[in-house]
Amino acid sequence: MGKTWEQLEAIQPVVLKMFKNSIEKDRLAHAYLFEGMKGTGKREASMLLAKSRFCLKPLDGYVPCETCSNCKRINSGNHPDVHILEPDGHSIKKSQIQSLQEEFSKTGVESKRKLYVIVHADRMTVNAANSLLKFLEEPHSETTAVLITEQSQQMLPTILSRCQAISFKPLSPAEMIQQLKNNGVDPAQAPLLAQITNNLNEALQYSSDDWFVQAQKIVLKLYEVVKKNPLEAMVALQEDWFLHFKEKEQIDRGLDLLLLIFKDLLYIQLGKQDQVVHLNERNRLEQFALQSSTKRLTEQMTAVLEAKRKLQANMNPQLLMEQLVLKLQEGSSFV
Amino acid sequence: MKFIIQRDRLVQSVQDVMKAVTSRTTIPILTGIKIVASEEGVTLTGSDSDISIESFIPKEEDGDEIVEIKQAGAIVLQAKFFSEIVKKLPTDSVEISVENHLQTVIRSGKSEFNLNGLDAEEYPHLPQVEEENVFKIPTDLLKAMVRQTVFAVSTSETRPILTGVNWKVENGTLTCIATDSHRLALRKAQIETNASESYNVVIPGKSLSELSKILDDNNDLIDIVITENQVLFKAEHLLFFSRLLEGNYPDTSRLIPSDSKTDVVVNTKEFLQAIDRASLLAKEGRNNVVKLSTIDGGVIEISSNTPEIGKVVEEVQSKSVEGEELKISFSAKFMMDALKALEGSEITISFTGAMRPFIIKPLNDESILQLILPVRTY
Repeated sequence: MGKTWEQLEAIQPVVLKMFKNSIEKDRLAHAYLFEGMKGTGKREASMLLAKSRFCLKPLDGYVPCETCSNCKRINSGNHPDVHILEPDGHSIKKSQIQSLQEEFSKTGVESKRKLYVIVHADRMTVNAANSLLKFLEEPHSETTAVLITEQSQQMLPTILSRCQAISFKPLSPAEMIQQLKNNGVDPAQAPLLAQITNNLNEALQYSSDDWFVQAQKIVLKLYEVVKKNPLEAMVALQEDWFLHFKEKEQIDRGLDLLLLIFKDLLYIQLGKQDQVVHLNERNRLEQFALQSSTKRLTEQMTAVLEAKRKLQANMNPQLLMEQLVLKLQEGSSFV
Repeated sequence: MKFIIQRDRLVQSVQDVMKAVTSRTTIPILTGIKIVASEEGVTLTGSDSDISIESFIPKEEDGDEIVEIKQAGAIVLQAKFFSEIVKKLPTDSVEISVENHLQTVIRSGKSEFNLNGLDAEEYPHLPQVEEENVFKIPTDLLKAMVRQTVFAVSTSETRPILTGVNWKVENGTLTCIATDSHRLALRKAQIETNASESYNVVIPGKSLSELSKILDDNNDLIDIVITENQVLFKAEHLLFFSRLLEGNYPDTSRLIPSDSKTDVVVNTKEFLQAIDRASLLAKEGRNNVVKLSTIDGGVIEISSNTPEIGKVVEEVQSKSVEGEELKISFSAKFMMDALKALEGSEITISFTGAMRPFIIKPLNDESILQLILPVRTY
């Protein structure tokens, strides 16, 4: 884990340029909000920022050396003045924020500098967010806060206004596909992987993962069943889907894949054949596309997105999928 | 690293440093004890990042060899397992050696443990002690000062600075002040120092309670060093570090009234017991309120009334009452805490009106002072 300054600069040049200038001019803000899609290197950037601040002899004044004891300890999570707060279970609780505040009411262990990182800051409970507010507002001189989120619109506006927002640009799909191909991924798979994740390592992992290959097949099969034989859809759910997609994360991935099918169908209908990601299944998809209308496809996509949202709200997975399948069939000839 | 050490000394040191180790920490390395072997002896360190305790085992003491150092070095071992292991080892001597790649072997008699260690480089660096800015104070005086102030710190985290005790060093005098904004405890003492530096720091109340637990009762001198972000207490072979609280302590000097309208002198024990009795009924009511009023002939009346339970009235003969008549209500708990912290058989209570804070002092002793805010009753 952990990328070096150069590696991260390759994917987030703007962000790192900003860090460089702020550090050189000693103008670091007291609180940053890192927003951007999954896999855009937000967490790595926060660690880099920590290392730049704490490194004993940074190269050129800002690049962490990665060899001094402070850099090493930040990498292994052992630095006493760098705190990383992650959701405890589903959300960040008020008590976590309180213990953080307690921690920061004291002086640093080794120096006056302190830094804290809140990962998934959007998952703070309302109480937690409100207790963080005052803390963000009155920072001690040498304290730096980094809030990391994938969904900045879900955070309190009062928190957003107290942080300097830094956007992490997602890697463009074309670039991602190219990189995947360079890493020896099957060219037919690359576009799909690029859509699923923005993180190169994660994509590479998926490309060699049996579970993922199987998942693709099951999702495609589910779509076909819904299309051709609606009565059997529920059975297919029980037989294949629930056996394969057990964890919440996995179901989320499954829904992503399902969404991509509808996206492809839409692209085919709109004549943007080059955007299609299911290259292997193209002929079959073209057939399906003929049998559907644009309006229906958008409705179906809405249903999948709705299901994704409900999944995050802890809906029972079985009921969720059954409801989704019924919705996908809506408007078809029977039921 | 390789050394052979007497087991009882190791057990004692491990027990001392274990007081600083907690299992609930976000920093993985702090679940361990750091062991450093050098030419002079063995140093053990435990920390929860708030407080750190360092215990030193010298190579020799009174001509007896305690540790035999074969090779210097450092390692961090899981505190939970290491402390249990050393407690239960079969023989009086223990050999600890680090083999290749942090693998640590603990041998005693015929038993042998292999423990996976952690890299000692990862352990937090404690501040280096500078010997010049030291001041000294006897252990029992230090413990008394902690006991007499630390009870008054705030337990609420809304104003974190008040969860600590304010230590001021000026002109050879150490002043400790603790307040939770309803009461205040102040204690002064002379210290031995050769530096003319003055300090003003706030030490977390929890750290001070821990400190007084770990110190023995004797009147050996303790060295105290205050650095930028930590305070260090140094006893023989034992170093206690604590972080400080960040921020400025409120100015308390103006809170303490200089003149008084009513002065009461009472016997501490009698008064304490009377308050204690009155609080029996007051406990059920809000704020633990008891009422004090002066009546003729130097008698003071202590009463408490909770309509749904009952009431209590008690008269205490005071040594002297001077000044205006007075009726005042206050928290019995605060009063008892304050009285327990005071030394001396007789105390002076100086009131400046029913709505103003009052101060309690031992008779003829200026070094300690307790201040309590009254409770408004109608």
